[in-house]
Amino acid sequence: MKDYIRSVFDVVAESPFLPLEAHAKKGVLAVEKLSEALEAYFEGDTKLLEERTAEIDTLEHEADIIKQKIRAGIPASVRLPVDKKDLLSFLKQQDSIADYAQTSAYWLTLRPAKNLPEGIEKGFLELMAASLTTVQMYDKVVDKLYKLLATSFSKEEIKETLTLIPEVEKLEHDVDVLETALLKKIFDNEALIGGAGACHLIGLVARIGSIADKSANSADRLRTMILKR
Amino acid sequence: MDLLVIALIFAGLYMAWNIGANDLANAMGTSVGTGALSIKQVIIIAAIFEFLGAVFFGKRVTSTIAKGIVPIDTISGINPQIVVLGMLAAILAASFWITLATFYNLPVSTSHSIVGSVLGFGLVVAFNGTIAYSDIHWNVLAKIVASWFISPVLGALLAYLLFYIIRSLFLHRATDLPHIEKKFISLQVLTACYIAFAHGSNDVANAVGPLTAGLKGLGMIESDIPIWVLVLGGVGMVIGLATWGYKVVETIGSKITELTPTRGFAAQFATATVVFFHSYSSLPISTTHTLVGSVIGVGLAGGLAAVDLSVIWKIISSWLATVPIAALTSALIFMGLEVIV
Repeated sequence: MKDYIRSVFDVVAESPFLPLEAHAKKGVLAVEKLSEALEAYFEGDTKLLEERTAEIDTLEHEADIIKQKIRAGIPASVRLPVDKKDLLSFLKQQDSIADYAQTSAYWLTLRPAKNLPEGIEKGFLELMAASLTTVQMYDKVVDKLYKLLATSFSKEEIKETLTLIPEVEKLEHDVDVLETALLKKIFDNEALIGGAGACHLIGLVARIGSIADKSANSADRLRTMILKR
Repeated sequence: MDLLVIALIFAGLYMAWNIGANDLANAMGTSVGTGALSIKQVIIIAAIFEFLGAVFFGKRVTSTIAKGIVPIDTISGINPQIVVLGMLAAILAASFWITLATFYNLPVSTSHSIVGSVLGFGLVVAFNGTIAYSDIHWNVLAKIVASWFISPVLGALLAYLLFYIIRSLFLHRATDLPHIEKKFISLQVLTACYIAFAHGSNDVANAVGPLTAGLKGLGMIESDIPIWVLVLGGVGMVIGLATWGYKVVETIGSKITELTPTRGFAAQFATATVVFFHSYSSLPISTTHTLVGSVIGVGLAGGLAAVDLSVIWKIISSWLATVPIAALTSALIFMGLEVIV
């Protein structure tokens, strides 16, 4: 027998913003794990590398499930205080943070670190740290969503959020600079590293760099979403 | 004859129980959802103010249900038994439809059901030639139906405006947001009383309107509605809330955590005001539908993270179904009773 309840509160739909924050957290956590995976990679700790890769894989999968839930939760009849298209395009960018953490981890498992000249390892660790900082800064921006909604988008809160976003973009720029320097170092030592080795390292630079790119892109989409409201 | 009056009383009590168990629970749900009041507090507040609203302000709408749509006095002048049977048929039909709708969680209104079923009885009497079709107060009916459209829209407008003001005055200037929400908790205690009072004043009629008409038809009461009839309705609704409604309040409260005290206050205040205004105008409307309008108003003013408008279509379709179904069921029961008694 069905419940003897007649209620109309279906009108209050589930908020997509809480899962959005949870989704961002999965990405941040995946990048943190990647940072550990990279250290394990340079130390030659294959076991730890594989462990971290598996964990990142799980996080990426969990993020995907949240993403699908958010998408399914906003059918045509649901009204949000922001443009739905903006929200979805923001979600898509945010989702690729975990994706890039995952492909970076996979990429690490393809080839062990060998014949690395002085400075390459340090360059990678710096690049990774900078990417991680960018993602963590991005996470702070996402945390603002809650207050934006609670105050029903007060000017003060919008202003605060909008000052955080350029900081993400600045950090992303720092990552770009590190990327270029590291690539140059790789090419400078191409004889020692070898063709296949260089190819592997270049791929790794691009992937770790993309994490910061995607964080900046998401922050940018978030800004569009807030401003276009 | 006495047996029929007793049947009317019991049917009225059953209807009142249903109203208390579901409609009143819906109206009070927001107070619990925002954490403004505990379940126990809500039950006590609702019981007191629902009762007061029913007893001291329930006359106008009750009078509309009893004699505003179908000319009871004319019919009872011809044959009082027709009135009693008709009113019994009407309340049974409405109760039956409400019970069915509740099992399937359809947003059906008790007010719409009772108006539909009273109309169904009136149409049969006119069909039988006891009264002319033109004797049915079509102008009153038109006003009632119009108010069913207008009330949710009014709720939405008022709630939108209220939340807009709250937003600009408090939320957008907030340095300490939790503090502001806390302030609105105390205001929500007041709106809880307000909405219970307004609900009682409008919805008691759905339970005791037919009883009033029956008693009047039999000449057992004069033109004024006796207090004990309204007390009966009030008590029935409070029992409904206490024996079943608290579960509904609990379920709703746990589902709508999105409605913070500022949002809940705007929605409840708007709903209560619109319902009270209609009680004053003697028009039976649906509190629940008005509440939906108000919640949507708050949502459109940017107060909610997500509002599902599909409920509007559910309401409109169950609304369109309610009047003919209630009218037809009431007509059939009436014809059946006429054969038996």
